[in-house]
Amino acid sequence: MQTFYTDLLCIGGGLAGERVAVEAAQAGFDCIILSLVPPRRSHSCAAQGGMQAALGNCAMGEGDNPDIHFEDTVKGSDWGCDQEVARLFADTAPIVMRELAFWGVPWNRVVPGPATYFKGGQKFEVYEKEEKAGLITARAFGGTAKWRTCYTSDGTGHCVLYTLDSKVLELGVKIHDRVEALSLIHDGENCFGVVARSLRTGELLVYFAKAVLIATGGYGRLYKHTTNAVINQGTGLILALDTGIVPLGNMEAVQFHPTGIVPTDILVTEGCRGDGGTLLDKNGYRFMPDYEPEKAELASRDVVSRRMTEHMRKGFGVKSPYGEHLWLDIRHLGEKHITTKLREVYDICQNFLGINPVHELIPVRPTQHYSMGGVRTNKDGAAYGLKGLFAAGEAACWDLHGFNRLGGNSLAETVVAGRIVGAKIVEFLKGYEVDIKTQYATAEVKKQEERINELKSKQGRENVYQLRNEMQEIMMEKVGIFRNEKDLQEAVNRLQELLDRSKNLGLVSDGIGANPELAEALRLPGMIKVALCIAYGALQRKESRGAHYREDYPYRNDKEWLNRTLAYWEEGADLPTLKYEPASKVFYLPPGDRGYGEGKVIPKDDNTEEKE
Amino acid sequence: MSVDATVETYKGHRLAGWLDWLQMLTGLTLAVFIFAHMLFVGTVIFGANAFNWIASFFEKTYLAQIGGPILFFIFLLHGTLGARKMPFRTKEQKLIVRHAKMMHHRDTWFWVGQAVTGSILLVIAAIHMWTVLSDLPITAAKGAQEVQNTLWALFYVLLILCAGFHACIGLYRIGVKWGFITRATRAKALKCIYILMGIYAGGELILLLRFLSLKV
Amino acid sequence: MGRTLQFEIFRYNPMDPNSKPRMQTYYLEEKENMTLFLALNEIRETLDPSLQFDFVCRAAVCGSCAMVINGRPGLACKTKTKDLPDKITLHPLPVFKLIGDLSVDTGIWFRGVAKKIEAWVHTNKTFDPNALEERMDNELANQIFELDRCIECGCCIAACGTARMREDFLGAATINRIARFYIDPRDERSDQEYYEVIGTDEGVFGCMGLLGCEDVCPRNIPLLDQIGIIRRKMAIASTGGKVGRLFSVFAKKKK
Repeated sequence: MQTFYTDLLCIGGGLAGERVAVEAAQAGFDCIILSLVPPRRSHSCAAQGGMQAALGNCAMGEGDNPDIHFEDTVKGSDWGCDQEVARLFADTAPIVMRELAFWGVPWNRVVPGPATYFKGGQKFEVYEKEEKAGLITARAFGGTAKWRTCYTSDGTGHCVLYTLDSKVLELGVKIHDRVEALSLIHDGENCFGVVARSLRTGELLVYFAKAVLIATGGYGRLYKHTTNAVINQGTGLILALDTGIVPLGNMEAVQFHPTGIVPTDILVTEGCRGDGGTLLDKNGYRFMPDYEPEKAELASRDVVSRRMTEHMRKGFGVKSPYGEHLWLDIRHLGEKHITTKLREVYDICQNFLGINPVHELIPVRPTQHYSMGGVRTNKDGAAYGLKGLFAAGEAACWDLHGFNRLGGNSLAETVVAGRIVGAKIVEFLKGYEVDIKTQYATAEVKKQEERINELKSKQGRENVYQLRNEMQEIMMEKVGIFRNEKDLQEAVNRLQELLDRSKNLGLVSDGIGANPELAEALRLPGMIKVALCIAYGALQRKESRGAHYREDYPYRNDKEWLNRTLAYWEEGADLPTLKYEPASKVFYLPPGDRGYGEGKVIPKDDNTEEKE
Repeated sequence: MSVDATVETYKGHRLAGWLDWLQMLTGLTLAVFIFAHMLFVGTVIFGANAFNWIASFFEKTYLAQIGGPILFFIFLLHGTLGARKMPFRTKEQKLIVRHAKMMHHRDTWFWVGQAVTGSILLVIAAIHMWTVLSDLPITAAKGAQEVQNTLWALFYVLLILCAGFHACIGLYRIGVKWGFITRATRAKALKCIYILMGIYAGGELILLLRFLSLKV
Repeated sequence: MGRTLQFEIFRYNPMDPNSKPRMQTYYLEEKENMTLFLALNEIRETLDPSLQFDFVCRAAVCGSCAMVINGRPGLACKTKTKDLPDKITLHPLPVFKLIGDLSVDTGIWFRGVAKKIEAWVHTNKTFDPNALEERMDNELANQIFELDRCIECGCCIAACGTARMREDFLGAATINRIARFYIDPRDERSDQEYYEVIGTDEGVFGCMGLLGCEDVCPRNIPLLDQIGIIRRKMAIASTGGKVGRLFSVFAKKKK
């Protein structure tokens, strides 16, 4: 058995994993990154829009500061976030953006003089100040009071990822790509590393580490229609859940993006709407101002997605062989703008739809996009329950986003959390020694070997892909944008059935080497468990908050539900055990009205009247 | 730094750059030369006397005696430099042909053509230069006598075609490699190159016919 | 619609001692808006679950799914079947190490060359968290972005005659990467330092201008234009700047 020892093992080589690795490597610690794919192929590279940081350089961002960013974030989260974390995040973000600029990210910069922008389809002019010339500029994103989203044209994620990966290379961080972590090695108190499987050869590998970081991104592929990459199957969350002692936080908080294209579900950036794109219905009518007079298309994502679904339910959707959709209109932005600042969007339309967005409308519908929930950590990024286990980025529930995240906050979170958590890991590693108990590794390897042999023996009768597709359909239909008791209960029941059937999985192929069917079969039971955490958490949460919208409980209920769900999976159980903790230890910003969305709240304070 | 960086410096390091310069400059010289050559030989259109006059001019001024060997040296140098980029082992040759077939890509085939014509030229252009320079003075009569032998005529047809292709594609290649022909100008440049190739091959073949018809 | 597509797919599993390189045929009904991403997944899920291939973003931004499609390297995810004939032949990219079937190891290859050319910003400055960022002209930021758009899919390497003949050739993507740092003022390397990493026959002088790279680049990056610029700069550097000054005057005039 090949065995590796290191100080820090980062599972996941996207932005969060790499940013943490950079921090540890700079402090002189040995670091290995495990990644399913070469790090530059991580899903981070697909993020087009940008990163929020209150730099306040551009004219429309004038007067911005971390306080306003903090408020926007808390409101966006529908008061579900950890406010200490949100504070820390908003304060640190500007430094991190400057640091990235120092390392080589080609942020777009302020061009002094008059500039033309679009907002809500209207053209308007502002004057960019001479004294700000050449500083990092920003664009508008939904749910923000100021223009705050730093960007590099349409390839922000790509540029930042490549820059960080170059830094990782410079610092000599070891990269083990095409390796999948299968389970954590731990003794119930300390985490010692992971058992992993090589996706090149199919061999099992053992990694021992003083600290392990889970940074595996989201779990979009639990849903049938998702903007996420095909590798976003929640593999890191399965690692944590399988320990039985590390909880997943707020798994029912799932964000749907308003503009996934039909039918391929590829995301077109919020930058489209930020720059002035509008949403039209089957009659070519711009409907969003009717629902949200103030913010229109730029309300937060949960609100826009729900309004779109609502409008389609009223019969205003465009019928297509792939279901109903609406139109995104960016034609008025002009060819130059579309082919430069929104080029990625232009390319996607050309490559995957065969249409030209300069002259044609883009078919869009709300599509699963982001997982607010994840491995629950404290504000230092340390996971609950196991010493030496950390998490960051989308895989973590650090809890910056609560029940809805703002566009541009997640991409920023990866690197901001990466810096903060990385520094805390460095602190943790200094002088830390752990007695690695190898018997736990041996036991874990044996367990995985048995699983693999059983699958290869072909005794099972259940087909991997069929089960996976059923799960994805259940999640899409029953645990989607609008939720209710009946559907959720049915989803839980059917997922439990699937979990049971997954014990009887058998391979069709031989399973030799880097066999993709075997890899999928090893993941699937864990994926179903994660799906159950979402569905069951959603069933139990009897209120509507942020992206979690219950038709049967349409009010945000601060009296009973101003809290965070913690889902544990005890060994042998067929349902997660749910516990709850307060949403935030401190409330710098007391719960109130978001200023957009339905705004129905049952306040925490009994004396206050219910407000509509 | 924990990366095994390759930043050691040694004098020979600049050689690659110099050799690249040389390859381009020798190629450029040879291309210019064969067009000039066509113009000089072109005097035969006006008859043997015109041709003989210009030939004797080159000999009287010793341009042929000195320039010839220099040119021969440049030719050999260019051949050697070019050979550094050529596939020598059968494995490499097979690879590049298989690659060109896979890609069905014009510019890759051009390069294969370049390698083939280059190899042929290395032999036949050398023979041509040797026969001409070792038997001064150059006269129209000698030339005519030579090409009126069928084998020699075929030899010259091959030389003309190879030289025309190699020189013109070579010019195009220089433009592309050094970034003078960019994506924006490529189509236009290629058109010019085709025209140039046509002028050269057409011109030289007409001259060949003229020599054939020359009364000795 | 209604076509039956015939897929000829290269199969070989190096981990299986019984496996021999061969072509395998699959038939699939074509569907509306079908891409090779959808087709290959359907083959895997319904016909042959052992078929290896790589997709990640399936939106042409991650560079995972490059393969040789009817002779030409390209991204499978953005290749629509309606643009292809009834018979579709798929091979893994040449040059790179084969993992199995259509899957090749581009990640290790690109990390190797990135280390060789030290593809990161070289600076003697240290980051000051309290200072404003260094200013940069937006036009320059856009130029850097243009070169940074490469997704290292490997198509240009697989389409390069030089790379196929010479294992150590750095290839277009790598030279483009150097160009990206070259124009970035934050990278303090001198021309001479760049020369040392790329002024070789394995580097920019190895390029024979076959244009395969540029003609297959799925990001449509003008790779040879970049190689041309770097070749000129490096050629100038090779003369120690003497011949170069003359040359650069000429080059500027051209602009």
